[in-house]
Amino acid sequence: MHGEYKMPGGKLVVVDLTLHDGRFAGVRLSGDFFLEPDAALPAINAALEGQPIAIDDATLGTAIDAALPAGTTMYGISSAAIVVALRRALHEGAPA
Amino acid sequence: MSRSDWRDHDWQLIHAAPQSPLLHMALDEALLDAVGAGRRQPTVRLWEWASPAVVIGRFQSLRNEVDGDAAQRHGIEVVRRISGGGAMFIEPGNTITYSIYAPLSMVEGLSFQESYALMDSWVLEALRELGIEAWYQPLNDLASAAGKIGGAAQTRRGGALLHHVTMAYDIDAAKMLDVLRIGREKLSDKGTASAAKRVDPLRSQTGLPRAAVVERMLATFRRLHGLADDRLRDDELAQAQALVEDKFGTYAWIADVP
Repeated sequence: MHGEYKMPGGKLVVVDLTLHDGRFAGVRLSGDFFLEPDAALPAINAALEGQPIAIDDATLGTAIDAALPAGTTMYGISSAAIVVALRRALHEGAPA
Repeated sequence: MSRSDWRDHDWQLIHAAPQSPLLHMALDEALLDAVGAGRRQPTVRLWEWASPAVVIGRFQSLRNEVDGDAAQRHGIEVVRRISGGGAMFIEPGNTITYSIYAPLSMVEGLSFQESYALMDSWVLEALRELGIEAWYQPLNDLASAAGKIGGAAQTRRGGALLHHVTMAYDIDAAKMLDVLRIGREKLSDKGTASAAKRVDPLRSQTGLPRAAVVERMLATFRRLHGLADDRLRDDELAQAQALVEDKFGTYAWIADVP
């Protein structure tokens, strides 16, 4: 599944994933945003991996924020925007 | 700590003969580290391209951004850079690309937007002198009334900031759209319906040869901030070549975001 979200005033945020036993699997965040350090990207993917499909947006956002390495900076992307892209992937369900 | 100004630094220019796309990626990392570690004075590097390339941003999906078959058909190499931002379509002579390796002290206390605006300010002045009214358009574009001129990207590491910019001098928009996958979502908050219309190149706006535009740009930087002619050192080139072997040329890096 593939979801894209152009954050207003920000950049393109893309999430690809599949579902496995009601949980997110193979979560991959990508886009033309700015994120430092770049180790934040796999940290975000790992924070989303295995989360139950029934999880609410606020809890997901908190999970992303908690996984970010200390001192992470985001420009053109936010945890809320990542959640929107993920929801679009789930709802629109276009193949990756 | 008080913020430093352009004139507080002894700016160096590197403008070498055409180099491969992979070497350009590696030189950005090597020179950023050199300035960050204090081994090199703050530097401006003007890129000359030896071959065509698509340069994707640090976090872009290789598969989502590039039509690999089309790239191969056109003989276009796909490389990944160290900064975020979007894909650039490069053909030798069709873009003006440069990097600024600045001490972090120059952007101390500035927001990201202020930092982009500061680093773009000299080139906007240069464009004005060439008769083009252009401005920094957040988050990271250079725009004119006729359309987008270019895009910037920044990354920070150690004690240094990399600010690099690619401006379209001339562009084969059809080929670009053949190779890049520019989705509808990306264009959703832009004012134009057609991706081809998003870029308005410098050639049509200045009527000048590319080399003349580059010369005028560097003259403006020199006048505003001072700029001494320098060259790539042997150890810097060797380090960049090693980075091509060990990092930038590897599939693991290019497909790091598959």
